[in-house]
Amino acid sequence: MRTFFELVKLSARRQFTYRAAAFAGLATNVFFGLLRAAVMVALYGERGEAAGISLQAAITYTGISQAVIAFLDLFGWWQVIQSVYSGQISGDLLKPMDYFRFWMAQDLGRALVNLAGRGVLIMLFYAAVFDIVLPGQPGQWLGLLAALLLAWMVSFAWRFLVNLTAFWVPNAVGIGRLGYSLSWLMSGFLMPLRFYPEWFQKLCNLTPFPHMINTIVEVYLGLLSGPEMMAALLHQALWAAALTSACYLVLRAGVRRLVILGG
Amino acid sequence: MGRIFGLYRRLVAIRIRAQMQDRSSFLLETLSTVLVSGVTFVTLALVIQRFEGIGGWSLGEIAFLYGLVEVSFGLMDMIFSGFDPRDFGNRVRLGTFDQMLLRPVDITLQVFSSEFIVRRLGRIAQGAVVLAVGLHLVEIEWTAAKVLYLPLVMLGQIAFFGSLFIIGSTITFWTVESIEVINIFTYGGAEMMSYPMHIYPDWLRRFFTYLLPAIFLNYYPALYFLNKPDPFGAPGWAAFLSPLVGAGMLALSLAIWRVGIWHYQSTGT
Repeated sequence: MRTFFELVKLSARRQFTYRAAAFAGLATNVFFGLLRAAVMVALYGERGEAAGISLQAAITYTGISQAVIAFLDLFGWWQVIQSVYSGQISGDLLKPMDYFRFWMAQDLGRALVNLAGRGVLIMLFYAAVFDIVLPGQPGQWLGLLAALLLAWMVSFAWRFLVNLTAFWVPNAVGIGRLGYSLSWLMSGFLMPLRFYPEWFQKLCNLTPFPHMINTIVEVYLGLLSGPEMMAALLHQALWAAALTSACYLVLRAGVRRLVILGG
Repeated sequence: MGRIFGLYRRLVAIRIRAQMQDRSSFLLETLSTVLVSGVTFVTLALVIQRFEGIGGWSLGEIAFLYGLVEVSFGLMDMIFSGFDPRDFGNRVRLGTFDQMLLRPVDITLQVFSSEFIVRRLGRIAQGAVVLAVGLHLVEIEWTAAKVLYLPLVMLGQIAFFGSLFIIGSTITFWTVESIEVINIFTYGGAEMMSYPMHIYPDWLRRFFTYLLPAIFLNYYPALYFLNKPDPFGAPGWAAFLSPLVGAGMLALSLAIWRVGIWHYQSTGT
């Protein structure tokens, strides 16, 4: 466990090397957020509310969805693929640490810095520019923290699983692109899932994707509370556990057929 | 000129053949792009329908605007692949750009033909379908002028987006790392132009009118095709600036590119 936390710390520290890139990313997120907020205002028009979501909450949503991009690394993470193709993985597998946890620790360090840095800054910017919704009771804040942590676990396990296809196919990046696009589409990143027709919401709820973003959004905005919130968090935890188990199973099968060429 | 074109054709043919080596991979990537971008639009359409339009524009009108931008951006993304700031930045960082400078062929032509990503056809095809749906839904009153002008609008948009790619690549001569900020203008610009410009706050719209004249490439031409009144009261010829603005931006970006090459200092790797 100590090695795990040391890795988290190291990875977190590494994030500070790329300050210029982080700032550029922040500016991009804010720009897209403002764009989406304008689209929301235009969509609502004269309406004050749609699908139980007020315009104020919808604008807040555009901020939340931008704030979690860097935290969840939504646009693609290819490190295991690169490591398999370059042969670097042979060295990592020899380390006295479980391979899944080796990456999990590093991703956690990256995620925490991006949440505390980019995520919070984006929400502060939103609070300064718009009249945003804030979680009310302490229970909601606790729920939000749990939802964020679980969302990161679901997202990490999904990304790891997508990366593992590199053990079998030479073009895992292509499969990864499809996998990541699905996660934008069905996670509620483009629009709150409640805006979609019932059948599409049901379809999304059969997948782990809503647990990456939509659950965070619904807990934050107070659309879920009390027992409903607890059920959503439990659902999230189940998906995190299921995907993690899948990662271990697939990883074991993959390592068995891995051939490293010398050189 | 003939020689340059022949060379360009040969180099691009090589890029295309290389991508066709692994046919299953190419098909998978193209199909997945069609699927994903198709579903993205369908879900957006479902939301627009729920709200009965955006800012007074119907679903069909939005589809027309969105499809046009998607096709143009996709075509640009394919034709200008060599100037994609992200890949070009890697070239500068790794020093492979230096190799190109040593070859006895015009450097702009080399970069232009250094990549031609065929899987962008997926996005183009999806955009074409959305555009077709839009045209079907809005029933434009076609005149000869409109039929002739539509391809010109598209060319203007391609030149406009291409100029942003070239400027983004030129910046990496100085920054070395590709900078994510340029995405605001390229991908952000494309997303922004997929919606009618009157929905944006004034400062944002002014930026995209006077500093980066995007509004003349999508919004004003669309008003002309759809016979909609202009809420900002610009003169009627504003609708016909698209090819001019596109060509002007492209010329400007190439001039900036020349300056960049003039000042280029290798990273030494």
